Amino acid sequence: MALRLRLEDVSFAYPLGGRDEAAALSGVSMSVEPGDVLCLAGPNGSGKSTLAQVCTGLLPPASGALYYGERRIEGRSALLQFRRSAVLLFQNPEDQLFADTVAKDIAFGPRNHGLRGDELTRRVRDSATLVGLPLDELEGRSPFSLSGGEQRRAALAGVLALEPEVLVLDEPFIGLDYEGRTGLAEALLRYRDEREASIVIVTHDLSNAWSLSTRFGLIADGKLLSLQTRDEMLAADADLTSLGMQLPQWGALARELVRAGISVADPADPRSLAGAMAKRKEAAGAGD
Amino acid sequence: MGTMDASEVSIEVRDLFYTYPGSEAPAVRGVDLVLEPGKTCALLGRNGSGKSTLARCLNGLLLPGAGSVTACGLDTADPSSAIEVSRRVAMVFQNPDTQIVGSTVEEEVAFGPENLGLPQPEIRSRVDEALELVGITDLLKRQPLRLSQGQKQMVAIAGAIAMKPHFLVSDESTSMLDHAARLRILELFEKLRAGGMGIVHVTHFLEEATLADSVVVLEQGAIAARGTPRETLGDPEKVRSLGLDPLAVTVVAYELEKLGHAVTGDVLTVKELLSWLYA
Repeated sequence: MALRLRLEDVSFAYPLGGRDEAAALSGVSMSVEPGDVLCLAGPNGSGKSTLAQVCTGLLPPASGALYYGERRIEGRSALLQFRRSAVLLFQNPEDQLFADTVAKDIAFGPRNHGLRGDELTRRVRDSATLVGLPLDELEGRSPFSLSGGEQRRAALAGVLALEPEVLVLDEPFIGLDYEGRTGLAEALLRYRDEREASIVIVTHDLSNAWSLSTRFGLIADGKLLSLQTRDEMLAADADLTSLGMQLPQWGALARELVRAGISVADPADPRSLAGAMAKRKEAAGAGD
Repeated sequence: MGTMDASEVSIEVRDLFYTYPGSEAPAVRGVDLVLEPGKTCALLGRNGSGKSTLARCLNGLLLPGAGSVTACGLDTADPSSAIEVSRRVAMVFQNPDTQIVGSTVEEEVAFGPENLGLPQPEIRSRVDEALELVGITDLLKRQPLRLSQGQKQMVAIAGAIAMKPHFLVSDESTSMLDHAARLRILELFEKLRAGGMGIVHVTHFLEEATLADSVVVLEQGAIAARGTPRETLGDPEKVRSLGLDPLAVTVVAYELEKLGHAVTGDVLTVKELLSWLYA
């Protein structure tokens, strides 16, 4: 049963140790619902990767509180328990592939969680299918013989085999081409739908998460500046430029239409955008 | 003898093949291409299409298996011109961390000119000029590894510029950077191009490619499409078939066409699509 993840006034600072680092997170409050795809976007060095690690129990908050469902995650054993429900896929996870076959690599995580036998086999097979790497063809192959996009999805399958309820991904689309990105996005949505999982995508580039995400959190200097739906992002005219970010072309077009008072039913859908523009064009033509 | 003059300042790729050792399929097959000074060429293609391999052939990092690459009149396969080729055609890569050797920015940018054996005052003035051009004179005494990713990439480019190259080949130099840092790099490329340098920019971002003079799309090592950004990127179906993410406005224009609205001229930017809407 999927639960809600909640952060309450969370701060975190790395030890200084002679380096000129500031507080990595300060006063972050947010929640992630089951079925959410939350995009946490911020420029390089904004603290978003730290937040990803706090959301998955890898870094305990220095102050503030982390709740999973009704339960506050506090102390080592609670943290260890929580890490079974919330999992982080690191940036460039394919660098961590190591086993001699795809199947063994996917099985590594759940095996460490103590799974064996039929349950282990089922999880490996199910997660491979979810990411679009059917084991019938790939079972005995080395992960290193796969394309970059397939390697990324194999690494994702290894994480999905843990069946996390909260899945956090750090820059999951970086370095992938169009097909790689599309394949990954589809796999994430399939998993979300199947398990009612919460997905958190951490990125500096809104474009890949734009159509996928249900909500957007903007992060700068360790602070969560806003948490908005796509429509709110367009209406609020968020100042992304000063954060070193930009709306993807989809969003930029939708925002211009919204500004001009042209309503768009679904700003992430090209047909919806085209429909709204066609209507405007026809209305203008009729008025001539 | 106009054509001979042109070949002295351009990069000419003739029926180029390159196969990595131990591999059967060539990574680059039968590429014919002329790159001109003062022009920007965007090199696109899905992962594994041969973009980086072709880029590495342009300055002799990789030598042709068959065919030829002539850079500024020099055959890259001729060992006696190898150093001169790498001086005239500079490269910057995706990850600046793997390109930085100096302990200060000054040392880092001086590294190339020092290796050319130039006298100290000449090195000094080249470092100053390169930092000035890139706009990072304030970083002179800083430690490169403590800089942001965007600043590091600027340092790497300054190092390349200090060699006074005729061409700059960027192999996804913007792909790890955030939007603000990417914009600064693209503005710098434009400045260098306006100064007469030829720019070859390998990228995944179609929006970056719309700024180029020409676009080349590779597919399985061969050129699958080439032309102006409008010619190559305007049709979203074609773009998808090349394994690329079509520009949003081209997809919307395509949908508009299905609704009976022919958007005149291929539009590539939000501004162009809006000016059709309000025309």
